[in-house]
This record gives sequence, structure tokens and C-alpha cells, in this order.
Amino acid sequence: MCKRSFFIAVVLTILSGLLLFAASGEERVIAIKAGRVHTVAKGTIENGVILIKGGKFIAVGKELAIPEGAILIEVPHGVVTPGLIDTHSHLGLGPSGGITEDNEMTSPATPGLRIIDSLHPQGMVPHQDSYRDAISEGVTSAIVRPGSGNIIGGLSALIKLGGGTVDEMLLRFPQDMKMALGVRGGGLEGYPTTRMGAAWTVRKAMLQAQQYATQWDEYQKENKKDTIPPKVDLDNVALLKVLRGELPVHIHCGPAVDILTAVRLGEEFHFQRLSLGHATGAYKVAHELAKRGVAVVVGPQMIVYDEEREELVNLADYLLRAGVKVSIMTDADVVQQEFLRYQAGMAIKYGMEPEEALRAITIYPAQLAGVADRLGSIEEGKDADLVIFDGDPFDIMTKVLKVFINGKLVYEKGEEN
Amino acid sequence: MKSKLSFSLLVVLALALFWAGISADQGIIAIKAGKILTITSGVIEDGVILIEKGKIKEVGKKLPIPAQATVIDASNSTVMPGIIEAHTTIGLQERFEPPNADELTDPCTPQLRVIDALNPFSRDIKEVVFGGITTAMITPGRLNVIGGQPAVVKLTGTTTSEMVLLEPAGVKISLGEGPKQTYGEKRRLPSTRMGSAYLVRKALTDAGYYLNQWQEYEKKKATDPEAKKPKLDLKMEPLAKLLEGKLTAFIESYRSDDIMTALRVIDEFKLKGVLVGCTDGHRVAEEIARRKVPVIVSPMGVGPRRIETKDINIRNAGILSDAGVKVVIHSDATLGVGAIRELPLAAAFAVKGGMDREEALRAITINPAEVLGLDHRIGSIEKGKDADLVILSGDPFHYLTRVEKVIINGEIVFEKKEQN
Repeated sequence: MCKRSFFIAVVLTILSGLLLFAASGEERVIAIKAGRVHTVAKGTIENGVILIKGGKFIAVGKELAIPEGAILIEVPHGVVTPGLIDTHSHLGLGPSGGITEDNEMTSPATPGLRIIDSLHPQGMVPHQDSYRDAISEGVTSAIVRPGSGNIIGGLSALIKLGGGTVDEMLLRFPQDMKMALGVRGGGLEGYPTTRMGAAWTVRKAMLQAQQYATQWDEYQKENKKDTIPPKVDLDNVALLKVLRGELPVHIHCGPAVDILTAVRLGEEFHFQRLSLGHATGAYKVAHELAKRGVAVVVGPQMIVYDEEREELVNLADYLLRAGVKVSIMTDADVVQQEFLRYQAGMAIKYGMEPEEALRAITIYPAQLAGVADRLGSIEEGKDADLVIFDGDPFDIMTKVLKVFINGKLVYEKGEEN
Repeated sequence: MKSKLSFSLLVVLALALFWAGISADQGIIAIKAGKILTITSGVIEDGVILIEKGKIKEVGKKLPIPAQATVIDASNSTVMPGIIEAHTTIGLQERFEPPNADELTDPCTPQLRVIDALNPFSRDIKEVVFGGITTAMITPGRLNVIGGQPAVVKLTGTTTSEMVLLEPAGVKISLGEGPKQTYGEKRRLPSTRMGSAYLVRKALTDAGYYLNQWQEYEKKKATDPEAKKPKLDLKMEPLAKLLEGKLTAFIESYRSDDIMTALRVIDEFKLKGVLVGCTDGHRVAEEIARRKVPVIVSPMGVGPRRIETKDINIRNAGILSDAGVKVVIHSDATLGVGAIRELPLAAAFAVKGGMDREEALRAITINPAEVLGLDHRIGSIEKGKDADLVILSGDPFHYLTRVEKVIINGEIVFEKKEQN
């Protein structure tokens, strides 16, 4: 009996010791010394030092003292950037084409759907390791959206990549309301067959949400205990957030005609922080977008062939120079998410400043998503998401050496890769 | 009177000769190049390429430049042969139009010819030329078991006949998920992999019978003028040519079991075969190498992954090439860094995956020329070959390298504007 309690005491002591050790381990500072640090917020530091503690950057600079007991990671030839952010992705939602998890194509307007209820935290067949692959090329966050099969697709989410469950990965939900203009539905019954039909579908849904709001306002004004409250409608609840300006709107567009319709709808219903995706015709109406502060998420097509002028248009660069807010995306898996840095490289090839291209996959997406206080640059207080490359981050031959998310090493280049 | 006439004739003749002399010189284009990647005979620093009548007249280090020649100064640039995309459906289908590369009324359509669907004014064709692609094999899609007859075309011209280099360029065959899913959905043969293989065998067996009938007829005809001519069958004609080894079978297959099925068919019918897609090729590299069957692969997997390409591996091209397989690199995507326009970057990914740099360069120039049977005309910078050239700002495999000029048949078809 006595022996047994002694044994238990010993076990408990060891366990508490381990716990203490683990706890103090978490508190240890990680110090990264690298040849070049692209902070994005405050320029580039040659031979910089980054200090990380508790999953956050605690300091970044040229000649920082490395605290005693810190875990030191030295990469003299390493080039560090903030973790890359893919501003538009369908990762973890199944294959493009065929049965996918991101398009509920049983009705053209499904605003009440939540993308997180479809999202697989590792990736699905045929790309089961899509998250691991994306992380291994430096992508640490992404906006995951419903597809463009429906005109109103549902609610998007901002996630950190890597994590056992969707709930662990979530940074913000709902992130925005996903819509798509043009002819959607591929001829399915119940879907409009014209562009004007698509616009009407949005208008109808927004007007219904307005009427729903009025119903509730009246009920709350009356404030009678004996009146039965109106029926809760999940679709209208979601659209109400848009109406009240609490939820941004993201609209899939192609040619200029859809872009102008998106802008028109945005003005009619006072869409807040409106952003357009793909928008290959945006350069034709760039001044309209700049004037209204409408952001464009460019990709997966980076370079547009203009048939009339018979020349290539570098869409992201063109828009940026016209004063439009720009981010770059993969639209994974239309282009696989691990190719995000090459998407930005494509913009550089055709004339974008490399600094701007880096911003378009770091701080601009963070600003677009409203999380620039947490993501997008290497600054004190922000989440310790970073990538260490062995050279120019946009060069095809450059390899990723290490990736950190929330201060944790989540990828390290091994012998075999 | 007579002497006056002969004098004026003489004057005319002399003038004609004089002008002919000048215009002969005027017709010459001389490119002064900082670096010439000839592909077949090494790299020439500070070389000259002379072009006449659409052909390469001379290439070398210290060539005299004829006085009247039009000089293109590329002394800070790199010149390489026109790039060849060996397997694509561009020009068959315009964006936002219904698919046009697969005739879905019958899984076996060897009688179809892509030249009957090719639009010379396709925007996709114009766009890829901007990337230095000068020749392409346009082929039916991958949804039919036997899709039809591809054509190799130069990417310039206003009519199909102006563009065509080789037609038919072979017969397109497809195994695996493409036909299986397409016809499986309709509950028609083939709804399985073995169904597809059966259809290929059946078609080739029928073609053997057809060929036999014609051979018999040719034999009989010599002695019997009344001999009955067999009926001409447009479906059987190209397949018979496959059996005779006069045409190449381009067999699209991705998974290793489909690749092995393709190799079995090649063995059984003694076909001149080329494997297209070949994602899992690295798993059976020795089998492919042993048979000396070339492959057309895409090393990146930029585009959407399908169930049969899920194991795509950046090392595929390198492993196949190291095993002794002749590797052609093509682009399988349409957007972003995977766009056909950026084909040299696809080869750069292969280099990243371990492929020899020089071999990767050959994989988008001379290797496709050989596989398509056109290496006497394209694929390298050599005397006598077509003057298809790309002038680049630097290393073709670097992501910042831009195409400055593209020349097809000795004519400049693209010139980079200064502002971009």
C-alpha cells in the first residue's frame, strides 16, 4: 500500500516535472538569424534577427541581442518573408470538376451555407496532402471560399494552414459572402441563363433580406411578450450581415460587363469592402474600381491577352499602377496552392516591382481580409508566420528551407525534397 | 531596228540581273547574337545567324555579313530555336465556347482530322507565339479511346494549309479515366479500363483485316485486272497506316497500369508509339526505356489534379530521362505559371526536379522535333533548317527572362514593345 502510494508520488513528480519542462519550453524564445529579412512593413534587413515567443514576433532588427537560452536558428544564406497568404482558394474542398464540396448546385442562391462545414483539414482526393504541399511552398494562410457554381455561394473563411481540425485552423468566420456573376450553373434547371438573370438573382435575395430585416425590426419595436417572433431564416440572417455592412462581399467576375454589374450591385446595396476575383477584364475599367476603392484579387490567370491591341496585359501590375488594391491568388486547385509564389513571379516577369509582388501575397491580402494587425508582415506583435528560402523567393530554382506558423516549425526541407 | 531591240533586251537583262543580285542580298537577314543555343552543336558566343528564304543559310562565330542584309542586333540576347509544344488542343476551341476537341458521339473516331476544326485566328495561338512557341502538334482531346488524327502546324498563317507541317501526324489514343468516365456515365462501352483496351485492340485487329484485303487486292491486281477493289474505309485508313508503321500512335496514359497497357498494345501490334501524359512513368521507367518509346510529359502539376494524376512528381521527367527514355516536355495547363506560353518554365521545373539542364532544353526543341519526325526541318539552329528562332533577354529557364522577338519561317511574328 505504502509502496504503491510512493510509486504514484514518483510518477506524479516526474509528470509534473515534464509538464514544467514543456511549459518552460513553450516560453523559450526562438531566434532566427538570416542573410536577408523581407519584413514587408519596414523594408529589407540584411543579416537580420527575428525573435519569436508565444507564437508571436517579439522583435525584428539588424543587431538584436539574442536572449540567453533562446533556440537559435542560423541560416546565413536564407531569405525570410512573412508567411504567404493565398487570397482565394478552394483547398480541401475536392477536385475541380466532377463532384466537389464547394458548389451546392441545387439552387442558384445559397447564402446560408458555411464553407467550414465542407472543409477537410488535410485535403481530399485527388490531392490528399494539399495542405502539406501548400505549406511546403510557404503558404501559411488562405481565404477559402465556396465555388462559383452558384450566384450566391455562401460564407467564406480565413484559415491558417495546418492543424488537426477546421476549428483549430479558423482565423475568422465568416470572412465574406461569396457571389459570382455571369452565367452560372452550366444550364442546370432553376438557374438563370443570362447575365441580367444573375444580377436579378442577387437583387431578389438582397430585397428579401431587407424585408426580413423590416419584419424583425417591427417585431422588436412592438416588443410585446405575447407576439410570436418571426421565423428565423438562415439565408436571410447571412445576407442581413451584408446589408448592415458587417460582412464584406467577394464577387467572382470575368469580363468588364460583369465587373461593372458587380460595382453597380455594390452601390445599390452598399456592399462593404467589396472585392472582385479573377476579373480578367478589370484593366478596361480600372479607373472605376480605383475611384470606388474596389479591390481585385488577381489570378489564376495573371497575364491577359488583349485581342484588340494584340498584346499581353499584366493584370495585377496594370491595376496596381491605376491605384486599385490588388492581391494575387491561385484559386487552388485551378492552380495548385503551392504555386502561389510563382504566380507572383509571373507578375514580376511582365513588369511588376518585386516588392509589390511580395506585398500582393502578404500584406495586401492581410489588409483585404481585415487582419493586417495579425498577418502579412514581420513586425513585433504579429503572428509568427514566416518562410525561409534559400534564395530569391520568386525564382523557380529557389527552395523553401523552413516554414513557421504561429511560431511553430511546420515544415523543414529534408534530404529527399 | 533589230540591233536596237537586242540592245534594249540586253539592258533589261542586265538590269534584271543587277536587281536580282541586290534583292538576293536584301532577302538575307543577319542576326548578331550574344549567345546562340544551337541545341545540336553547342553554344556559340557572339555568333551570327544568316537567314534566307525562310531557312537558316548559315550559323557560326565569325560569319561575314552581306552588305545588303537586314541586321537584327541581338548582341545582348540569347537566341534559341523556336520552341515546340508537342501535344495541345489550342486552336480547336475558343474560350467560353463548348468543347470541340472530343467527338463524343463515338468512343472510336480515328477518321477525324483536327485540321477540320483548327482556327488559324485563335487567340490562344496568337498568345503562345508571344512565349516563343513556333510549332505545335494540335491533337484531339483525351476523352475518346481513339480521338483522331493530330496535325503539326507552324503557329503563323491565315489558312490551315499555310500552317500545316505534317498532317496526319499520327493517331491519338487515350486510356484510363478520360474515356472511362465519359462513356461510363452514358452506360456505354468503355466504362472500364479493360473496355478501353478492348476497343483499341478491336480497332487495330479490324484494321489488320482491312490492310490484308488491300494487300491481297494489290497482289491480285497485277495478274487479274478484274480484281475487286476493297471499299475505302476512312476509319480504317489511319489505323492501317499505324500497323504499317507509317504513322505514330500517341497514347495518352497517366497511371502506371495504363502505361503498361499502352506498352502491351505497342508490343502486340508492333506500333511506333509515343506515351503522352505519363505521370507515373517514373514507376515503370525501365519498361519504357527498354522499348525505346519516347514520352511527352508535363513535370509540374500546376493545374487541377485528377484522380489519375494525383501522384504527379516533379522528378518524373528527370528519372525517365536518366533511365534512357527520350523525354519531351509539354505544358498541360492553361493558366498562371503553367500556361503553354511559359513552356520553358515547365522545363525549368523539370530541372528543379533533377533533370539535366541540357536535356531539358532539348526536351522543348530537338526531342519533340524527332518524336514528331520533323527534325530535318525544326528543333535546332542548323544550316538548312527552317528559320524558326526565339530571341530571349537571357537564360530560357530563368523566370525573369523575356521573349524579345519570335521568328517563324524567317519572318518576325512577334516583337516585344518597349514599355512592357
